[in-house]
Amino acid sequence: MTEITLDPDAWKDIDPATEALLDKWLVAQGDTVRAGQPVASAVLVKSSLEIVAPAAGRIAQILVPAGQTFARGKPIAVLQGAT
Amino acid sequence: MWNYPSPAIVLGCSQRLLREAAQKRLEGRAELLARESGGGAVLTGPWLLGVSVVLPNGHPWLGEGLLESYRHLGQLHAAALAELGIAAQSVPPPTVADANDRLGRTADWACFGSLSPWELVDAQGRKLVGLAQRRRHTGVLLAAGTLIAPPNWQMLCSAMGQAHDAPLLRRRTVSCEALAGRPVAAQPLASALQQALAQALNLAG
Repeated sequence: MTEITLDPDAWKDIDPATEALLDKWLVAQGDTVRAGQPVASAVLVKSSLEIVAPAAGRIAQILVPAGQTFARGKPIAVLQGAT
Repeated sequence: MWNYPSPAIVLGCSQRLLREAAQKRLEGRAELLARESGGGAVLTGPWLLGVSVVLPNGHPWLGEGLLESYRHLGQLHAAALAELGIAAQSVPPPTVADANDRLGRTADWACFGSLSPWELVDAQGRKLVGLAQRRRHTGVLLAAGTLIAPPNWQMLCSAMGQAHDAPLLRRRTVSCEALAGRPVAAQPLASALQQALAQALNLAG
């Protein structure tokens, strides 16, 4: 099981209270993804950012639905069976 | 560089659910578009000069986080505006909250309704230049919009169902024309920005 998160570099120097918005999912729960594949789009400080799969596998669970915000470091999905 | 001969409303990427209602309210008076970068709605038109900068991943402007990219673009705008005798400064991240509070209530649904890090304001804290960006695995788009002249805020607010916010946008913003005390053409600012970008990005021949 691997967690998918927004790249920690994106949060650099940003106020700790600021949250990102999960704008759009590009894959669905159960989909198989490649390492580096964009899986979702998020908005943070007026920046639209890709969130990519850290490894190949299957999206086992989506933890943050589109339209919800999430804090620094919070996983947005769980990736299972990395190959 | 982008000039806009006729008005259009450009929604931020997270405002797509507002599109249908805004389209109905507009009744064809202006085009309605959605962009891929974040932030609130922008009213383009002859009053706005847009800048788009596409950079490859790994470019020095991108290597130190989102805010550093904004700093580079914001400070470049400040320098170009200064060449035209227009004084504006970027808002450093630690002062953004105070800068927003200084002019009362914000309107986050509109790009010019609040301030974000390194956007440009005048001495009274009124917003002159808005910034946004889009980061993809293929590269990064940095975008900026400068108010050359006072926009038709009523059109934007009415289309977005926020007619009561027109006075707020007038209070929170300022244009190059207002700061210069004379009509300002977009072309001299576009030229100054192009030169500054070419120099900063080492594109000068």
